[in-house]
Amino acid sequence: MSRLLPLAIVLPALIAWELAARSGLWSPLIFPSLVKIFNELVSFFSKSEYLMEAWVSLYRALGGFGLAAAAGVTLGMVMGRSRWAGALLDPLFSGTYAVPKLALFPIFIFVFGIGSLSKVALVFLECLYPIVIVTSQGARGVNRVLLWSAQNMGASAAATLRRVVVPAAAPFIFAGLRVALPIALIVVIITEMVSSADGLGYLVIYSLSSLKTDRMLAVVVVIAAMGWALDKGLVMLRNRLVYWEKLETYYV
Amino acid sequence: MISRASAVVALLVLWQLASLWGLPDYILSPVEILKHFVAALGTRELYTDIGASLGRALPGFAIGAALGIALGLAAGVSRALDGALSPVIFLTYPVPKIVMLPIFMLWFGIGDLSKVLIIALACFYPVFINAYYGARSTQKILVWSALNMGAGQGEIFRRVVVPSAAPQIFAGLRVSLALSFIVMFAAEMINARSGLGQLIRVAENSLRFDLMYVSLVTIAILGYAGDSLLRYARHRALAWQGEPA
Repeated sequence: MSRLLPLAIVLPALIAWELAARSGLWSPLIFPSLVKIFNELVSFFSKSEYLMEAWVSLYRALGGFGLAAAAGVTLGMVMGRSRWAGALLDPLFSGTYAVPKLALFPIFIFVFGIGSLSKVALVFLECLYPIVIVTSQGARGVNRVLLWSAQNMGASAAATLRRVVVPAAAPFIFAGLRVALPIALIVVIITEMVSSADGLGYLVIYSLSSLKTDRMLAVVVVIAAMGWALDKGLVMLRNRLVYWEKLETYYV
Repeated sequence: MISRASAVVALLVLWQLASLWGLPDYILSPVEILKHFVAALGTRELYTDIGASLGRALPGFAIGAALGIALGLAAGVSRALDGALSPVIFLTYPVPKIVMLPIFMLWFGIGDLSKVLIIALACFYPVFINAYYGARSTQKILVWSALNMGAGQGEIFRRVVVPSAAPQIFAGLRVSLALSFIVMFAAEMINARSGLGQLIRVAENSLRFDLMYVSLVTIAILGYAGDSLLRYARHRALAWQGEPA
């Protein structure tokens, strides 16, 4: 019963949408009917050029995210475990944290060109912050008793890092990754909307300017599903790797 | 203080030295950027753009944050609302909200309203989720003590639930404020007649690199100042709670 409760919000919203679409009060451009949106969605998955756009967006998002994950986890670990690296780099990251990195995009276009590279670079930069900040918190907060015990039992520095520090920081690392992954998709979509000839963000703007709002909404549904699926995949991976601590979230 | 900023200063010095050696046209040296920025501060246009941008980001942030706090706390304490609302919110949480901008432009026009609402939508989520978890993680023993001492429902909410959720709410507000600037900038880059995002687009298209950096420095300062103000407000409001980790 309680699982059906969300339908109390979703169903009336969908019905209201369909009624608004059929009432004739608004142009079908403003409220295209759900049936037309669904048809566009079906044709999205049957056309290879649309799937290609989805793939372009996906690899940009995952490319930037993957690079940021590799660099961010390493950097966060070093900042958390080495006092002088932390003292040196912490102010750099916390000082520029609230600055919208998106504003660098026009400069990135000049530096990296108009294609994928400037977008991947911006995704990398935006994703780096949450990953570094949360990872370094986790690495810094490792229980000292565990470190002492490991040393006492003769563990080398490398073994301590691998067997104590990394597992202790793992929940934090995944928390940072989970913040960063939707950011990756947001940045890709925005940059494709602003300046591009390909990708889902471009497809949204292109559909709008050719007044195909049903198609635009179908693309929005695809982007939404993509964001949801990426997050779900990351949470599944996390629960496999960090099996000793269940993630406290609502919908997993 | 000086030692804390040493990495930033070292980076700026390196950058300035690199400019002596020769940089491409589109990368100005820190000293040049500062010169252009100071010159722009003397013009009226910059303030018009700042006003237009803040006029979108701040109302959007305020609406999103107010709704997020209200609904998040409500879903945190009411089981019925929790069951109906929270799954919908959590399901749509990882969806990039900026994709709604074109739809909002259709519904609410291409003016400021659609931008304010898209910013509000983006800001709503982090605040909702933090207020929700903050309210839910209220220690039961505090609620029981208050009940035991004869507090009513409303009083428990006001004097127990809200204070214990407050640190998390501030954490959500901090994320949302940063997000409001990002979405504002994105929306202005996509479509606007004024504002800092539009300024950087115009500068880009006319190869006015000086204006690009003026816009960049301005948005950086605004973002930093907003974050500092919020941290100060948190410090004042939650003096009893100690500094965050």
